[in-house]
Amino acid sequence: MNTELCAIKGTREGLVITITNAAQFSEVLQSLERQLLASQSFFRGSSAKLFLHEGTLSDSQMDDIERLIADYGMRLNREPLTVQMQRPQVEQVTEDTREVGEDNTLLVRRTIRSGQRLHYDGNVVVMGDVNPGAEIVCTGDILVLGSLRGVAHAGVEGKVDATVFAFRLEPTQLRIAHVISRAPDEKLPQPSGPEIARVVENSIQLSVYNH
Amino acid sequence: MGKVIVITSGKGGVGKTTTTANLGTGLAATGQRVCLVDTDIGLRNLDVVMGLENRIVYDLLDVVEGNCRLRQALIKDKHFGDSLVLLPAAQTREKDAVKPEQMRELMAQLREDYDFVILDSPAGIEHGFKNAIAGADTAIVVTTPEISAVRDADRIIGLLEAAELYDPQLIINRVRPDMVRKGDMMDIDDIDDILAISILGVIPDDQDIIVSTNRGETVVTDKKSRPGQAYRNVVRRILGEEVPFMNLQERKVMHWFKKILSGEAQ
Repeated sequence: MNTELCAIKGTREGLVITITNAAQFSEVLQSLERQLLASQSFFRGSSAKLFLHEGTLSDSQMDDIERLIADYGMRLNREPLTVQMQRPQVEQVTEDTREVGEDNTLLVRRTIRSGQRLHYDGNVVVMGDVNPGAEIVCTGDILVLGSLRGVAHAGVEGKVDATVFAFRLEPTQLRIAHVISRAPDEKLPQPSGPEIARVVENSIQLSVYNH
Repeated sequence: MGKVIVITSGKGGVGKTTTTANLGTGLAATGQRVCLVDTDIGLRNLDVVMGLENRIVYDLLDVVEGNCRLRQALIKDKHFGDSLVLLPAAQTREKDAVKPEQMRELMAQLREDYDFVILDSPAGIEHGFKNAIAGADTAIVVTTPEISAVRDADRIIGLLEAAELYDPQLIINRVRPDMVRKGDMMDIDDIDDILAISILGVIPDDQDIIVSTNRGETVVTDKKSRPGQAYRNVVRRILGEEVPFMNLQERKVMHWFKKILSGEAQ
């Protein structure tokens, strides 16, 4: 398990620097610098928010963090996070699916084929394809590290800010919370890269994924 | 101990029975001892395709129910005799007359005496399909380059996995290179993209198949037949040989070449 006092994580809201305990501030700074060094210029040009598991930071401490990450080309976004970050949890490994943390994320290490239906209370990550005729329904987000060609329903209990992401997003039908959209009848040119779908003004909008 | 292979597809009419007959005959032609089993109870036709319909006395159900001994129900092929036999399906009964456990027992007996037992599965995903896959070691999924057939093949692959028949192999049947070239037919890559299982063979569409099927013969032994060549390649792959996929465009070129030679070219 990671013993660092802070971590840089990619989330739905962009990069987040999570700090386990703000009381040990100097160690936190050292840990952050170590990780930025290790990541080289990977995070250059991005902005990050802060999330504290315990304790608070003074304005001058925030400034310290801002100066440190600025050296690595990052900006600090001082807006509060809208979602709760979870502390890392020990992963439970089952045969080919596993749950990670309290945020309930189901990791599926295979292709979901026609006629197969996955219903889950939480997020779903598929390391494979979701083929036409297959269906994924969950209360959280859906990530497909492959092609999504079947039906996906994210945020099924009304979570309108749920998203659906896929390396190739070509679903038969896409539903987020109460909003439904379907593939166009005529074939349109598809972007070859990853796309993300979210609800914008009561309709589902697809956009090329770049964070 | 022989190997039990089930030929299945989900969708009907894609060429399961033709594939079973050709692979069986092809394997027998290489000296393997082969038993073909028609599990399509109530809608049998492997016997017709093999040209053995008029020799049926007992069927699969008679064996399972103990009305006859296994040996008595096995019909010898016209060309290969003892090394290619057929266990026909019952025509007058329902699919649920056999249970998966009975199929498993039957397969255990057959694999004692034959190198390959090839099961022709009925279309669909119900009782008959479950019987067919019950005693099998591996599966060959047959599809055609049509969206509906590929969709059903995908469903079948999922069901095979659920039944712990992993790593099925794919035969793509009735491919028409001219249509693929014009973009009117799904090509191999489109199908591979969705199904993502290893491809055992690609069989070109050819009228030889219809002619030979109606005569109760198989094309696999016809040296001049294109689908026959494709089936022979599949047979060699089943036996563990590495055989490159044949170039489906070849014939067009030959055709054009012949035209020139005969002075027909424009």
